[in-house]
Amino acid sequence: MEFCVVLAEADMNRRDFLKAGLGGAAAFSLPVLPRLRTEQGLGTTFDIDLIAEAVSKPMIDGVSVPVWQLRNPAGAGPGDLASGLMAQEGDQFNITLQNDLDRAINFVIPGALAGTPQVEAGNSLLYSFPAPAAGSYFYTDAINGEIGRAMGLAGPLVIMPEDGSSSLYPGGPTFDRQYTVALSELDDRLNQQVAGGGSYDMQNYEPNYFFANGLSFPETAGDSDTLIASTQGEDVAIRLINAGAITNPMHFHGYHVQVATRNRIPETQVVEKDTTLVRVGDCVDVIVPINQAGAYPLHTHYVPGTTANGVYVNPYGGALLVMSAT
Amino acid sequence: MIGNTTQQQQSGVGESRSFTYLGPNTASLDVKMNGNVVMADATNIRSWYFGNGFNDDRTVPSPLIEAIEGESVRVTLDSMLPHTIHFHGLDVDQANDGVPSTSGYVSFMPAMGGFGRVEGDTHLGTPFEYTFVAPHAGTYMYHCHVDTVIHLEMGMIGTVIVRPPGGSATQAWSGGPTYDKEFVWHLHTFDSSWHGFGPIVSGPTTTLRHRPDYFMINGRDGVNTLNDPTTAIRGIPDGGRVLIRATNIGYQPALVQLGGLMFDVIASDGRPLVAPLTTDQQLVAPGERYDLLLTVPAATDKLATVDYYDIRLASVLGTATTEISSDVPIFEDGFESGDTSMWSSTTP
Repeated sequence: MEFCVVLAEADMNRRDFLKAGLGGAAAFSLPVLPRLRTEQGLGTTFDIDLIAEAVSKPMIDGVSVPVWQLRNPAGAGPGDLASGLMAQEGDQFNITLQNDLDRAINFVIPGALAGTPQVEAGNSLLYSFPAPAAGSYFYTDAINGEIGRAMGLAGPLVIMPEDGSSSLYPGGPTFDRQYTVALSELDDRLNQQVAGGGSYDMQNYEPNYFFANGLSFPETAGDSDTLIASTQGEDVAIRLINAGAITNPMHFHGYHVQVATRNRIPETQVVEKDTTLVRVGDCVDVIVPINQAGAYPLHTHYVPGTTANGVYVNPYGGALLVMSAT
Repeated sequence: MIGNTTQQQQSGVGESRSFTYLGPNTASLDVKMNGNVVMADATNIRSWYFGNGFNDDRTVPSPLIEAIEGESVRVTLDSMLPHTIHFHGLDVDQANDGVPSTSGYVSFMPAMGGFGRVEGDTHLGTPFEYTFVAPHAGTYMYHCHVDTVIHLEMGMIGTVIVRPPGGSATQAWSGGPTYDKEFVWHLHTFDSSWHGFGPIVSGPTTTLRHRPDYFMINGRDGVNTLNDPTTAIRGIPDGGRVLIRATNIGYQPALVQLGGLMFDVIASDGRPLVAPLTTDQQLVAPGERYDLLLTVPAATDKLATVDYYDIRLASVLGTATTEISSDVPIFEDGFESGDTSMWSSTTP
C-alpha cells in the first residue's frame, strides 16, 4: 500500500526531471514520459531526434560563450547540456542525430554504446540500440574526445529497472525520490577557439564556468529539478553524472550518504561518505538518508568549481546546489 | 589522556599526538588576518587563519580541535570581518553549518564594503557560539565558508578529530584498531598570486584560475616538510603502529604514498570502511579524509610522498615529501621530534 504512494511520488520526480531536463526552465516532454507512468516491462520503441548545433549560451554573469548542444526539437532546454533521456530496461531507442556543427561527431554512451559510425557535418544518421542495463549514464560524442564534452555535447541517460521498482537496479537500493545532477564546465578560451573552427590543447584546460544540470548557482536553487527537495525520513537517490572534463569531489552538507554504485557497479568498500569523488566520465549513484530538516549545500569541493569566472556564490557562482528538507 | 586545559602539546614520541590541540569539546577561535607563512624558498606568503591567542604553534593549518563522540561541542568564533566556521563532515544542523546564505555569517558589523560576498545573508554578530553533538569517532575538518574559494586558500582551515567515547587517543573508534602514535597530514597548496594585500574578494581579477606553486603538508613545503615533526614519522619502535589522518582541504587531488610501504585504509570521512583496504597508495580528493594505518617495519628508511594532481588528474603539479624512519629523530639543530620549540610560530 505504502509502496504505491511512494512510487507515485518517485514518478512525479521523474516527470519533473524530464519536463525541464538539463536546459533548465523550458518546459518540454520526451516520448518516454508516458512510458514511465504506465505498464512495466513491455518493451517500447522511442523515436527521438537530436540536433547537434552551435549556439551562444549566456553565462550567469551576463557574458555569452559559444557552446555546442544536443537539442531535442520536441522541446529541449536551452542549456549547454541537452535534454535528458529516461527509459526502462527492455525499451528500444531510435535516435536520429542531425549534425549542424562544422565537424563530424557520433553518438555514444560510455559503458553501453561504443564504436558507432560518425555523422558528417550537415548530415544526419540513425542510431538504434536497446536500453542498457538499469543505471545512470550519459550520451555524448566520441569523435572529438574531451573537446566535445567541454563544448557541451552531452546529456544524461537514466535507465530504470524492468520491474518498475523505485530502485537503482533490480534488487538494489530503493528510494523515495530521485534527482539527476549532471556536472559540466567550460573554459571560455577553449570555446572561443573551437567556435572559430580550431581546436584546443586540453593540457591548457582551466575551466572558469561550472554547471549542475547546465545551471549555475543560484539558478540551481530556483530550478525545481535541480533543487534537491525532500521530506525528513525519506531516502533520496542522487545520480551524480560527470559529463565534463574535470574530476569533481562532491561534498554533502548535513548528511553522510550511502555510495550505492560507481558506473553501475555496486560500491562495497568505501560506502559511507560526505565527499565522494566523481571522476571524468563517471556516474556515481548515492542514497541520501534525509535524517534532518534544513537547507544544506551540495557542491564540488574543487572550490573553484563553485565560482563563475572567479566569483564565489554571492551574487552568483558555479556548481553549487541546495538540498532542502522539510 | 585528554585533560581539561585548552592547550595540549605533545611531550615525546611516547605520546600519541603530534600537534597543538584544542579541547576536548570546547574551543575558542579568533580570526587572524595577518598570518605569514615562510616557505622553503624563504618566500613570505600572507595567510588568514583561526587562532587562539599567543600560543599558535603555526598559522596554517589552524589549531586541531578534539571532541568526544556523543558529547556536546561548543566552538566560539570571534571575528571583526565576515567569517564563519563550517564543520566539514560533522553533519551539523543548518543553524551551525557556517554557510552564509543558509546559516548566516559572523562579524562585528553587517557586511562591510562587499568583503566576504555576504550581502543579504543573515548577520549573526560576534562572538558566535557553534554547537553540535560530536558524531562518529573519526577525522573531520573545519574551514571558513565565507567567500570560500579565497578564504580556504588563505589558510582558514583545520582538522577536527572525534575520539571514541571515553576519549582514547590511541584507538580509531570504539572497538576499532589501536595505534601507538597518530599524525594529521593536512594536504593543500598555495597559489601565491592569490595572497595579495587588503581584504581580498573573489572575482575575475583575484581568483580566476588556481595555479598552485607551493605543495604542502601541514603548511610546510619542500625541505621544511621533510623535517617537520608533525609530518615526519620517526623513531617508531619496530612494529609500531602509526595512524595517519590524511585530510585534503586543497584544490588538487592528492595521491599519498608511503615510500612503497603497504598500509591499511581503515576509514574515510569519519566512517570505517566496510573492511580495511590494504594498499600502497591512496588518492585523497579535495574534501575527503582517509585514515591510514601503517605498521612500521624494522629498519625503515623511506620517503613518503604526496603528489598533487591537476584537476583533470592528468599530471602531477608538485609533490610534498616527508620521512618515515625507524631512526630516533635528530634534527639539524639537535632537537628531538618531541621538542615543541621547533614549531615556533611564523606569525609576527
